[in-house]
Amino acid sequence: MKQPFLWLLSLWVVLFSGILYARPVSYPDGWTLMTNHDAFENDLHIHYTPNINYSVGYKGIYFQENNAQFHGIQFNYLLKRINKRASQANFYLKSGIGMHHIDNDNAFAGFTGFAADWEDRDYFVMYENRLFESANLDRNFMQKSRIGITPYVGDYGDLHTWFMLQAMHRPNSLDNKDKVTITPMFRFFKDDYLGEVGVSSRGQFMFNLIIRH
Amino acid sequence: MKKLFLSLMLLIATSTLAFAEKAQITINGIVCDFCARALEKTFSKQEEVEKINVNLDTGIVIVNFINGKTLDDESLKQTVLDAGYNIETITRIKDAE
Repeated sequence: MKQPFLWLLSLWVVLFSGILYARPVSYPDGWTLMTNHDAFENDLHIHYTPNINYSVGYKGIYFQENNAQFHGIQFNYLLKRINKRASQANFYLKSGIGMHHIDNDNAFAGFTGFAADWEDRDYFVMYENRLFESANLDRNFMQKSRIGITPYVGDYGDLHTWFMLQAMHRPNSLDNKDKVTITPMFRFFKDDYLGEVGVSSRGQFMFNLIIRH
Repeated sequence: MKKLFLSLMLLIATSTLAFAEKAQITINGIVCDFCARALEKTFSKQEEVEKINVNLDTGIVIVNFINGKTLDDESLKQTVLDAGYNIETITRIKDAE
């Protein structure tokens, strides 16, 4: 009962906030490397974009709480893009299948999630969620959202800087204090490189890197 | 005779004058550096295109064609669609070089 409620909550946030953020699909023939590191997971995603509708690639996750790993293939599908004169919104479906390794036990596993973003030159808002489930009964759900503002509007080719606030909800976390974390962070973007660094309300370090080619 | 000579000179001068065509296109959805980069990478695959200049503030992109080459409106629209965006207006500009 709790899980459907969370999905409904996620859907509600998506539909009525109108904004979510994540860029799992690049430009045609583009390769992208994405790494995310926080107190809960280390993720690596390398994907290829044949056209603007979808991308496919390797996904690896290291779950720090239970020392588990996932290795598989991830598909990202652009459900809808809304281009306006001064803004853009994207809606994505992200799913993956692969193997889950925990305590010398290997099992088939998969995940699915929804992501979306809205941004203009000054502000952005994003939301994404993910339900992960494996045959060895490990199941977890997470959702996060961000709001951001840029202190200055840079031209094409400049170093772009954003200040963001991220809220993450992990209802399956073993420590109750980790179920909701707030992370102020900075995003730096120049050319094909995007870096994010932040420290959560519990003092947990976060670092993300995206390289496009 | 003098008139004939001048006319001939004028004819030679105009025949050697090259016109480089440009297209000024207004695009919806280009709000970030990554959007501009996507357009640049997609246009770079078109052999008719020399380079593009993106103005993120106005959403205007100037497409510079190689001398004697161009893309028609449909091709421009398709290229921008392939990059994930859509064109609002296209204006042709001819620059003498």
